[in-house]
Amino acid sequence: MATAHTATHSDTSHDHHDHEHHENFITKYIFTQDHKMIGKQFLITGMFWAIIGGLLSLIFRLQLGFPEMDLGWLRPVLGGWISPDGKLDPEFYLALVTMHGTIMVFFVLTAGLSGTFSNFLIPLQIGARDMASGFMNMLSYWFFFLSGVIMFISLFIETGPASGGWVVYPPLSALEQAMPGSGLGMTLWLIAMTFFIASSLLGGINYITTVINLRTKGMSFSKLPLTIWAFFLTAIIGLLSFPVLFSAALLLVFDRSFGTSFYLSDIYIGGEALPNTGGSPVLYQHLFWFLGHPEVYIVLLPALGITSEIIATNSRKPIFGYKAMIISMLGITILSFVVWAHHMFVSGLNPFLGSIFMFLTLIIAIPSAVKVFNYLTTLWRGNLIFTPGMLFSIGLVSFFISGGLTGIFLGNSAIDIQLHDTYFVVAHFHLVMGSASFFGLMAGVYHWFPKMFGRMMDARLGYVHFWLTFVGVYLVFFPMHYIGIAGFPRRYYSWTGFEFSNMYTDLNMFVSIAAILTFGAQLIFLFNFFYSMYRGRVASLNPWRSTTLEWTTPLHPGHGNWPGEIPAVYRWPYDYSKPGAKEDFIPQTVPLSATPESNLPHEQELVKLEKEIIADEEAVLVANEAKES
Amino acid sequence: MEEKISYIEGAEQPIAMHPKKFALWLFIVTVVMIFASLTSAYIVRQSEGNWLEFDLPEIFWYNSAIILLSSITLHWAYMSAKKDDLAKVRSGMILTSILGVIFLVGQWYSWGALVDRDVFFVGNPAGSFLYVFTGLHALHLISGVIFLIIVLISSFRFQVHSKNMDSMEMCVTYWHFLGGLWLYLFMFLLLNH
Amino acid sequence: MYGLLITVGIILLLSIIWMVYRIQTLVSVVKGSDKKIASGSNKINAFLFIVFLVGGGGWMIWYSIKEFDNYQLPIASEHGIVTDQLFWITMAITGIVFLITHVLLFWFPYKYQYTETRKASFYPDNNKLELIWTIVPAFVLAALVIGGWKAWSDITKPAPENSHVVELMGYQFAWEVRYPGLDNVLGENDYRLTNASNVSGVDFSDKNSFDDFSSPVVIIPKGEPVLFRIRARDVLHSVFAPHMRLKMDAVPGMPTRFWFTATKTTEEMRAELGDPEFVYEIACTEICGRGHNAMRRELRVVEPDEYRKWMSEQKPYIVNNPALVSDLPTELKELADITISEYKK
Repeated sequence: MATAHTATHSDTSHDHHDHEHHENFITKYIFTQDHKMIGKQFLITGMFWAIIGGLLSLIFRLQLGFPEMDLGWLRPVLGGWISPDGKLDPEFYLALVTMHGTIMVFFVLTAGLSGTFSNFLIPLQIGARDMASGFMNMLSYWFFFLSGVIMFISLFIETGPASGGWVVYPPLSALEQAMPGSGLGMTLWLIAMTFFIASSLLGGINYITTVINLRTKGMSFSKLPLTIWAFFLTAIIGLLSFPVLFSAALLLVFDRSFGTSFYLSDIYIGGEALPNTGGSPVLYQHLFWFLGHPEVYIVLLPALGITSEIIATNSRKPIFGYKAMIISMLGITILSFVVWAHHMFVSGLNPFLGSIFMFLTLIIAIPSAVKVFNYLTTLWRGNLIFTPGMLFSIGLVSFFISGGLTGIFLGNSAIDIQLHDTYFVVAHFHLVMGSASFFGLMAGVYHWFPKMFGRMMDARLGYVHFWLTFVGVYLVFFPMHYIGIAGFPRRYYSWTGFEFSNMYTDLNMFVSIAAILTFGAQLIFLFNFFYSMYRGRVASLNPWRSTTLEWTTPLHPGHGNWPGEIPAVYRWPYDYSKPGAKEDFIPQTVPLSATPESNLPHEQELVKLEKEIIADEEAVLVANEAKES
Repeated sequence: MEEKISYIEGAEQPIAMHPKKFALWLFIVTVVMIFASLTSAYIVRQSEGNWLEFDLPEIFWYNSAIILLSSITLHWAYMSAKKDDLAKVRSGMILTSILGVIFLVGQWYSWGALVDRDVFFVGNPAGSFLYVFTGLHALHLISGVIFLIIVLISSFRFQVHSKNMDSMEMCVTYWHFLGGLWLYLFMFLLLNH
Repeated sequence: MYGLLITVGIILLLSIIWMVYRIQTLVSVVKGSDKKIASGSNKINAFLFIVFLVGGGGWMIWYSIKEFDNYQLPIASEHGIVTDQLFWITMAITGIVFLITHVLLFWFPYKYQYTETRKASFYPDNNKLELIWTIVPAFVLAALVIGGWKAWSDITKPAPENSHVVELMGYQFAWEVRYPGLDNVLGENDYRLTNASNVSGVDFSDKNSFDDFSSPVVIIPKGEPVLFRIRARDVLHSVFAPHMRLKMDAVPGMPTRFWFTATKTTEEMRAELGDPEFVYEIACTEICGRGHNAMRRELRVVEPDEYRKWMSEQKPYIVNNPALVSDLPTELKELADITISEYKK
């Protein structure tokens, strides 16, 4: 219903437009286009998958740690995959590992981490009312949900889920005769991943568009919080690499269902010589890892971005080397596309290429080193407040160092010969990805929970959760390094068949117990999360006394975030403990001209430029008045 | 002192591009990556040997001409829209749609021609890749034709005019991209035989 | 009965935990600790970091030293010595970095924990520092790269002419070992010829295949180069001989290779370890299905003389099963018959 565009104009006339439209349950919680609600949808869904992924890991760890254990009590859930004498089926073990990997990497850390915080924080921190296209955002979530539904279904089909490892290398994944999981389970995996890719691309397009086009006045690229830089670069990585996985999957689909020979060649299986000829299994590996490696940085960069924010805030100190951090992330972004074949050193790779990739792989360690040292320097001479988010951020740095350094071993192609596909690799990526990135996710939840739900999480429970998890994770994954150096191969259902591998049964038992306890600790977090959502202490508007824009919105921001004008930005996001300033933080929205006592010399110069911003603002107001009259 | 100034800049002007169009460009980037990875895979496989050599169907030549022509007619429609000449807009868009459909039909017949030359989807990857390239491109072109029709319908409802060029511009961009993509693919195949 | 007891006990236990939680929440509200910027937990957390540093670091060092003999597999190949050396150099460097960074990471939180009176220092950047910790890691990594590159080049260069050829074919779920025989040349293979009696799909129309034979154990000579020709029959596999520091994927349709020189015989290694049951093993390290963890094959290193002796005693495929060459063209058939008769003696 059109309202009259009357010729008269008065200050109070806008009151007619201020009333909110009445949202029903469907449009507010289900088919919402509000980026905040979509972010929460991603988070809750991610948590669901985290529990599933965690439970899967516990099951196969039971098998690994206690090979003689009677798993009959799992039969009600797992059905025929538990044999009558209580043993786990070897194929189902592989399926568990495969689904555990896929779920954790894609559903939890990609969708749950990037999906949650990109959606939630980008408009809030850059000063936009919403994403460029709310509809695309909504579509992004529902494609992800659909993908999850399909993947969930695949867990329960008769022939079992995909079980060729999370990398699903052909021919194993292409041929149903090779293993039962490569039948319907693999098909569902591919369909789910297709929808997941669609979801990620839609989201990524939206994030990039929003960051570039919808920043508020004054929010230049050099005033963006590192969180946003991280999300922005993550989206770019995703945009460029997910289509490649799509291509790989497409060709795999053709091989599986239409009889082409992209990846298949010279195969005699199940008593039959297949007609496929001229294919190259290594081709798939190239295409997969062209995504696979950037994917690990899709997982890590948001976590590093979140950590930058939290460490600076809770150190009450500006992040050290803001520009260097950005350049580091840009370096990681670029380099992440040129190191993919370090996963393929022993796949028959051309030796020359191996040398190139080794060289480039170790270069990527340099920007990462810069980030680590910058974090440490941010902590140095800070005034550290240990909020749960801060603890998890420190934990992240620790895991990143531990895991990253083991990457140095793996990046060295000569050393990788021995270590490839051993538990050393498992330990490496669990420390950087399973732990560092996961801690980033937790840190983000603890830090932005007050903004998401308007309430505070219980800090004491957070501390308990952190210490149990931090210690627990090290107890789980650190021993794996020793296991890997001893040459234990990964994806082994049982190690008792080999002489060289059956010496660490007690350590495996130790790891499994630690894993169970670690997972149990997450239940504290889950309780804290859901209980605080409803009964937590009501949060103040800026509980961590942070400088960034999201804390200038109301406690429960409506769709559109700021009820009135979007605040303009005048300074970078890390003005903590400025010499001469009254408070130990100055929000981005405070003009430099308003704080002459704390301005640095170069900032005094910028006060002049600031007048231009203000003048521009004034000009817009006058111009708009002229249009009205 | 220099390095201290460098990390804070003055008021940066926003990028002068419509967010929706920018998003379309990003989408184009993803399509580029899909085709780039497939053409890279093609090169790798070809270099590994065991490769079937055959000639490309002649229909591809005619199809290339049609696609180019459709870009011209669409651009003519675009220019007309800028001048509020709605009659020409509709003519141009209808022509472009027809040419697009002709192109698709031509691609279908080119598959027939390939089969006649014993180049099948199944079998040697040389043939398989050809089908994948043309098939995937055709799928994207179908979406392009759909977009054309949407904009055409909009023009009948007087929603396309010089003050409202967004959808038209996006359509033009996308169609030109698809045309250029085909020319690239065709040249690529031509040069790799 | 006990199930019920435990259930009731757990419920009561959870109730107590719940009550404790509510009580401490109420107490903290009463005390007004929520109003403070940093609570008493701040000190506890800071202290715990130090505890973790000392405890965790201590445990790590203790365990690393104690269990060294267990996880450091004995080396039995020439290139293995090089890569192991490289490994420990890298370990030394990263170990130092690991310790330093972690000491700082956990020390700073303890030292600089929040106090009302102190203000953090405003220290947004220092270009000199940035440069230092960009260049230093770059040089360190460059050194590692060079070392690695030399090792990698040596390992992957073409095998010497006098290498002993052995074919390892992976299939679900075992390894088929094929020796070229006295001519040291393997016969061609064609996967379409594979069947129950011709597991490797040997093409017996190639005369080089007449003396090819299979063996349940991989026997190789010490001190002489051995070339593993690796392929797969069905899906991806991967040959892994841990003591040889050897690993290479077996890819269907794309044969791969890896050559090495063994330095210790099985007997020598048994004597060295004091374990009379010790054997070198080959495992599969690329996921291949339900029997992935059971693709075991024994690798035995013997003295060169012993190797030649063993080699001469082996009987080719066609001697064990003459039907394999029964339908060959006449010329080849004759040649095959001659070969068979020679081995019958």
